[in-house]
Amino acid sequence: MNRDGKIIAFCCNWCSYGAADLAGISRLQYPGSIRIIRVMCSGMVHPEMVLHALNKGADGVMIVGCHLGECHYIKGNELALARAEVLTDTLEDFGFESERFRITWVSSSEPELLAEAFRTMSTRLAALRGEDRSESGGGE
Amino acid sequence: MRPRLAFEWLHACSGCEISLLNSGERLLDLLERVEIVHFPLLMDHKYTSQDNGELDLPEADIGLVSGGVASEEQLAVLRAMRRRCRVLISLGTCATHGGIPALRNQWLVAETLGTVFAGDDGRGAVPAAMEGTLDRVSSVDEQVEVDVLVPGCPPRPETIVAVIEALMAGEAPGLAAKSVCDTCPTVRTGKGQRTVRRFLANADFDPKKPVEAMRCLLEQGLLCMGPVTAGGCGGAEAPLCIRARVPCRGCYGPVRENGNPLLDMLNALASNGTDHRTIVDRKSLLRFCGAHGLLKPLKKRG
Repeated sequence: MNRDGKIIAFCCNWCSYGAADLAGISRLQYPGSIRIIRVMCSGMVHPEMVLHALNKGADGVMIVGCHLGECHYIKGNELALARAEVLTDTLEDFGFESERFRITWVSSSEPELLAEAFRTMSTRLAALRGEDRSESGGGE
Repeated sequence: MRPRLAFEWLHACSGCEISLLNSGERLLDLLERVEIVHFPLLMDHKYTSQDNGELDLPEADIGLVSGGVASEEQLAVLRAMRRRCRVLISLGTCATHGGIPALRNQWLVAETLGTVFAGDDGRGAVPAAMEGTLDRVSSVDEQVEVDVLVPGCPPRPETIVAVIEALMAGEAPGLAAKSVCDTCPTVRTGKGQRTVRRFLANADFDPKKPVEAMRCLLEQGLLCMGPVTAGGCGGAEAPLCIRARVPCRGCYGPVRENGNPLLDMLNALASNGTDHRTIVDRKSLLRFCGAHGLLKPLKKRG
């Protein structure tokens, strides 16, 4: 099986999904383990959806929204940030490393930034897997 | 023939059974109409079949199981109950969500036993009776199929009797799907505190006035789990703890099916601008709901 676990990326319709679109058109390279789920706003991603993805076997989860202050719905990404802080604090309680989750901001004109965020996340998770392997002798 | 009832307790404290016995005259009416074939709290009864000496229980129309599943023995008894009961009811929060005993799911079994049965010489002194301890405490519905879930720590006496009576009449037991907040009469203004404090000092209220005149405890900055907890504890009146001017501790389990009270509560606080980091012991929000994989041992970092 592919050791490269899936990374679920919740991208907001107005900025980051636009950036992902532009990244595709511009033929930017990013890891194939990314699976983008388009949502109307990063603020609508309930923490439970992130936990659900991890419980179902996703390697990592990202929430990507508009830059703070530039939300299409005025304050949606601020809500997302508040919820992300809850997640970062509680993921360890549910048996996941907090590095498996990341929230970041990308405007629709910054496909490079998005591709870079995807690459960073993929590297970070690869490092985590390395940790798992050396410790439990093979992981699951 | 009168409907046969079987009661069984697993990893339980007998509170749910006491609650049933507490239902007053309705219990006397009920006893007239049913035949109790198995009830370890009230009557002596063998767990083994006379034919082959294997674990077996009498056949029953309605089975009520309280407590979670923490050992292989309890699991075997539960499976026998499921085999022998036409309708199986999970009675109480331990049976529906793990309850207090499931708090141990946040440690490995060896850690728990080593702590609880610590010997004088620093080595563990685990009694033989603890053999067969399962690696985690699970709710009843995690192990076998369950027909009716009746949460509560304990469930209201009236609720237990009403569920049994409804099943005897062939009706679906109508259990409230409302949250504690939905059934709470306190005054809400919509303006909460930025922080949450521990319940070390009393809430602000006038003891001469009814609970309807008290300000919402969450808005007073107390960690009240009303928003994420299933209601019904107070019957038609205000929720029990609120009536005692005490914040809800979440004993009826999550109001949302498969809900996660810890995440839901912190999410609700964070979304409303309350600093969730002011909660001192956030894991205690799962104090009644550690089963279903919600409480897990921490992963050791390399």
